[in-house]
Amino acid sequence: MKKLMKAVSLLMAVMMLLGSVAFAETDMEYVKNKGKLIVGITDFAPMDYKDENGEWVGFDADMAKAFGAYLGVEVELVEIDWDNKILELDGKTIDCVWNGMTLTDEVKSAMETSNAYANNAQVVVLPTAKANDYADAAALSGLTFAVEAGSAGEAEVAALGYNMTSVHSQADTLLEVKAGTSDAAVIDALMAAAMVGEGTDYADLTYTLALNSEEYGVGFRKGSDLAAALNEFMAAAYADGTMMAIAETYGVQAAIIPQ
Amino acid sequence: MELIQQQLPIVLHSLNIGFLQTLKLFIVTLLGAMPLGLVIAFGSMSRFKPLSVFTRVIVWIVRGSPLMIQLLIIYYFPGLVLHNPIWGGGESGRFLAAAVAFIFNYACYFSEIYRGGIQSVPVGQIEAGYVLGMTKTQIFLRVKLLQVIKAIVPPMSNEIITLVKDTSLARIIALQEIIWAGQSFMKGSQGISGAIWPMFFTAVYYLAFNGIMTLLLGWLEKKLNYYR
Repeated sequence: MKKLMKAVSLLMAVMMLLGSVAFAETDMEYVKNKGKLIVGITDFAPMDYKDENGEWVGFDADMAKAFGAYLGVEVELVEIDWDNKILELDGKTIDCVWNGMTLTDEVKSAMETSNAYANNAQVVVLPTAKANDYADAAALSGLTFAVEAGSAGEAEVAALGYNMTSVHSQADTLLEVKAGTSDAAVIDALMAAAMVGEGTDYADLTYTLALNSEEYGVGFRKGSDLAAALNEFMAAAYADGTMMAIAETYGVQAAIIPQ
Repeated sequence: MELIQQQLPIVLHSLNIGFLQTLKLFIVTLLGAMPLGLVIAFGSMSRFKPLSVFTRVIVWIVRGSPLMIQLLIIYYFPGLVLHNPIWGGGESGRFLAAAVAFIFNYACYFSEIYRGGIQSVPVGQIEAGYVLGMTKTQIFLRVKLLQVIKAIVPPMSNEIITLVKDTSLARIIALQEIIWAGQSFMKGSQGISGAIWPMFFTAVYYLAFNGIMTLLLGWLEKKLNYYR
């Protein structure tokens, strides 16, 4: 028994030591000591996507690289499973998520978020043939919606109280509509513009009304001082025009929020 | 149809890169798990009670819990619990964590197959070995081993073919294997977005590779069938 107590107290001492070492430095110091800011992203044009040379580019990717230069650290962009973004942040396998992330209440409570930097909306995606019958939110009440689990679209449909099925990703919601297992999907406007219509496998789908308007932000570990640093950086980048110049490269200047 | 023709080269290039990751994980797992499985098999057959009980508890935990959870635990726990992300966030770190999880998981399955094979050798043969003055090692190498190899090929083939498909679970820690590569075109990647077919097309790779594996393992089984 005595031995066990000894072992347990020793273990606790070691854990506390490890913990105190980890907490003694701020998140900014941690990243600077490491010399590298690891940015969690997904393949999401025009925010983060690969160019012909296999390099990550996009509005978010370029802003992240500029932020790295501002901090004086290297930037590594890593593709993650979006469902696991909080795990990745808390597990320190990444330092921030920077990928057109909608600032919902859930996101704000789980992460330290930056100021909003771009506008977005959640839109309804329907078969083109039926689009005219469902011109306003009230007309949608009889439909079954496919939404991404944990997404802003899910929250919007839940608020309206309509029938819905939560699936794994925004891409899967369109598969549901295409296959006829759901009547309509609710996804990001930017994504809907890229994914449906001419030249895609969803040529017979279209997107109609916006259910809300929302804003994009960058997420850091809870309590991180990097969020404030990013706000400072974005204000400076907006003031000297570099932020808008990057936005124009990717055609998103209309959505940018002044800092 | 025309659209698919335009997309095909880009998609195939991407799927090939993904399949290379799948293959790499498959080969590394086999190379690691086959010897480790033997160590675990000897552990669980040990006459030293604490060792065999300990090993069997480990095997129970690994076989009894989902591989997906094991992947999440191995990749995220060092950072979450110990505040020291040993694997790092990059691709090589994710591959290493996935390989460790797969090797350990499959070694436990293999160990039970080995144990079954070893224990299937009739005890009379071992007694005969002792009567002839053979040592324990000699009995294992000269009497048991070849019979064991023969006996375990069919169940091992089964596990190996399952392993090819199980590698797709590694996408949970964002290892970009072939299904990840196929799915990326649904959302949009390299100028192709809203394409469903690449994800389903990945099945062709699995089928082709498992076809080759089936032929290879069938040939091996026939080769070992020297008494018939």
